[in-house]
Amino acid sequence: MFGYYLELAWRNLRRSPGLTALMIGAVALGIAVCVMTLTMYRAMSGNPIWWKNDVLYAVTMDFWDPQQPADEDKPELPPWQLTYRDAIAVYQSDIPTHKVIMHKAVGIISVDGQQVKPERAMTRVTTKDFFAAFDVPFQYGGTWTDSADTGPEPVMVISSKLNEKLFAGANSVGKRVRWNDNEFRIVGVRDRWMPLPTFYDVNNGSLEEPEDVYLPFGWNAALEIFSAGNNNGWKPEDIKNYQEYLASENIWIQMWVELPDQASHDRFKAFLDNYAQQQKNGGRHARPLNNRLTRPDQWLIDNDVVGNDDRVLVGLAFAFLAVCLLNTVGLLLAKFLNGAPVTGVRRALGASRKQVFYQHLVEVGVISSIGALLGLALGGLLLMGLRVLYTVDATDAGGTQALAHVDVTSVVTALSLAFFATIAAGLYPAWRIGRLPPASYLKAQ
Amino acid sequence: MTAWNIRPIASALWRNRTGALLVALQIAIGLAVLVNAVYVVKQRVEKIGRPTGMDTANMIWVSSAGFAKDFDYDASWREDLATIRGIPGVKAASLMSSIPLSGGGSASGFQARPGEPTPGDNVDGNTYDVDEQAIAALGVKLIAGRAFEPQEILPPSETYGEAPQAIVTKAFAQELFPNDENFVGKTFYNGLSEPTTIVGVIEHMHGAWVGWDDLGNVVLFPRIKRGPGAVYLVRSEPGRRDGVMREIEEKLGDSNPDRLLRWVRPFDYFINQSYLDDRNMAIFLVSVTSALLAITALGIFGLATFNVSTRIRQIGTRRAVGARRMDIVRHFLVENWMVTTAGVVAGCGGALAVGYWISVEYELPRLDLYYLVGGVLTIWLIGLAAALQPARRASAISPAVASRTV
Repeated sequence: MFGYYLELAWRNLRRSPGLTALMIGAVALGIAVCVMTLTMYRAMSGNPIWWKNDVLYAVTMDFWDPQQPADEDKPELPPWQLTYRDAIAVYQSDIPTHKVIMHKAVGIISVDGQQVKPERAMTRVTTKDFFAAFDVPFQYGGTWTDSADTGPEPVMVISSKLNEKLFAGANSVGKRVRWNDNEFRIVGVRDRWMPLPTFYDVNNGSLEEPEDVYLPFGWNAALEIFSAGNNNGWKPEDIKNYQEYLASENIWIQMWVELPDQASHDRFKAFLDNYAQQQKNGGRHARPLNNRLTRPDQWLIDNDVVGNDDRVLVGLAFAFLAVCLLNTVGLLLAKFLNGAPVTGVRRALGASRKQVFYQHLVEVGVISSIGALLGLALGGLLLMGLRVLYTVDATDAGGTQALAHVDVTSVVTALSLAFFATIAAGLYPAWRIGRLPPASYLKAQ
Repeated sequence: MTAWNIRPIASALWRNRTGALLVALQIAIGLAVLVNAVYVVKQRVEKIGRPTGMDTANMIWVSSAGFAKDFDYDASWREDLATIRGIPGVKAASLMSSIPLSGGGSASGFQARPGEPTPGDNVDGNTYDVDEQAIAALGVKLIAGRAFEPQEILPPSETYGEAPQAIVTKAFAQELFPNDENFVGKTFYNGLSEPTTIVGVIEHMHGAWVGWDDLGNVVLFPRIKRGPGAVYLVRSEPGRRDGVMREIEEKLGDSNPDRLLRWVRPFDYFINQSYLDDRNMAIFLVSVTSALLAITALGIFGLATFNVSTRIRQIGTRRAVGARRMDIVRHFLVENWMVTTAGVVAGCGGALAVGYWISVEYELPRLDLYYLVGGVLTIWLIGLAAALQPARRASAISPAVASRTV
């Protein structure tokens, strides 16, 4: 019976191609706009490290201005970064299985004796656990050792993208590269890795690609590396040199720890509170004790990674889909009612209400499937258009490229949304046509 | 026949109420979206269009990064500036610590008196280190005092402390000294109580962050930017920007192997980047809202067409008993108007509800009722236009249809 209904549906749809095109077009357009906004929204709001959400924590401590909170809109939160001296002090704890302190910097990469032009590279100055804590994959080699962090030893990890440029993608472990004219040895090549948003540092472009170069944290003091990212201070301090900068109340270091269970979480929290209390007792600051360990999902919310525009756009997309579906229901109803005399004949010849209902539902299914597929394709096109909108300069395409990356979950969500929405839209017309008394239509024949 | 025949039209409509209801719902959503989209887009367009106070169309930014160990920053910027100033078509060139309207920069708090800083007296300002050509290179209007003298310019410094002189925007000065009108010669203080005297006042200039309330508070200090990275601001003669950019790229590109000429970019690049989200939001809202209204119009059109096609015999009969074509057109237009109006009434409630949500999300004032009136009129017009063609087709039905058996 299903095959027959399918054939009937096909014939019915072909009888009025204009109306059919209109219906399919409406469904496709509604789906396309929804796919586009949802993909965008997911890219910004998704938790890219969900599988470690229960063990990873951003560490924040409140050593801010005694007279006012760091963020007046969220007075309950400590500042979003740490001072250098607090980060170094807390890093000494052995409780976390992995601990990361870091900041974003910028350097010039050059290679001796090679015809590659020196190039500016975004750099993350971090500790050896960065890769293990965030499950960062390696193409070649691996991370550095503890002694490289404190040494500091001249070792670095580069991205596969930079490796492609410098060494044509070959295994470059052991090769020498200059960073701001200081020689470093490559110990690892990071594989393609694209967390969206870059949860580990949301203050410095949360939709940008991760850095291309990773240096051991100890190089900060050795090379006097300033932050190329967010740097905030509240205290008027007369900072004359880099050493004084490191000892200042400026916040510019991000810290993350991995704590495998509640017990270690509590122990580390106690450690933090104890440290802060000691600082307080030493007369450092007057703010109430406010140390936090924040999980990645909450971290993204606290830091407003998803903007109001994104929420408004999702609302708009669903309003749009609603209009498209209402439109389709109206058109389906009109179409089915137009075909009522034929249905009347079928009913008179013995088709049950249920059979008429199913027959029309199959027709709806055909429309919704075609509409959904077209909508997905169109949504992909729109996302590509979005990439153009978000690129200021073709040579400088940043991480917003990833917006056009439609992942499997998005596709499945969108497909089911499309299919079920249209079927739901078709239920009423199909039911209505099944309830029509056949006699009145037969009379007119 | 009486003039409008509201009652029979309404009862005809009631017989096929589902279709009408669906269209009315679409209209309600359409109105709610239209009104609020226009409101938000207007805010964005106004934000993007704010005057910057600078000669943005003729400004160029150049970034040079010294990276070699023996890189001589001092010699490098002197040589670069001399080269740039020698290029024909260049009006002025200056070293500047960061780029206004780029989303990157520094800000500090200041007050009108020395002593322990307090939140109430604190006035925030975007701070820039510049040299003596900055006022000319920025193209800002000096309304009082003077520009910096070459001998005032301090050497680069590690400290974040301020200089003894500053040129400030009027907005910043007014916030510091609300009871004064003449700001030149006034002294203000940083958090360490170091004094700075105002030597010049700029009418208006934008600072670093377009979303910041204190965007118009700018403080320029006479100091050379700290190395080893240099940012040069270049202002060309009107219309010669692109040529000057090419020339700079050529002359500085390979002039010094110890540094990398990172880029030469027009000011628009940074401004566009800063307003990218606002611009895209506006584009997105306009396109989705237009598509939504187009689909709604199609729905109205579809309903009217359907109503005509199912009533061919009735229309024929009415024509046969004396209705004029005009009467038929009017019948369908009034019927459609009733559907639209039902939608509009529901849509007004929806528009206000969405408007409330938007005002909470964006911390904007509540939706102005003018927008609602404009939206209602627009929707009425769209409804009328969408139903016109089916109504005219109906009026073309021949009275003979009535006597034919189909």
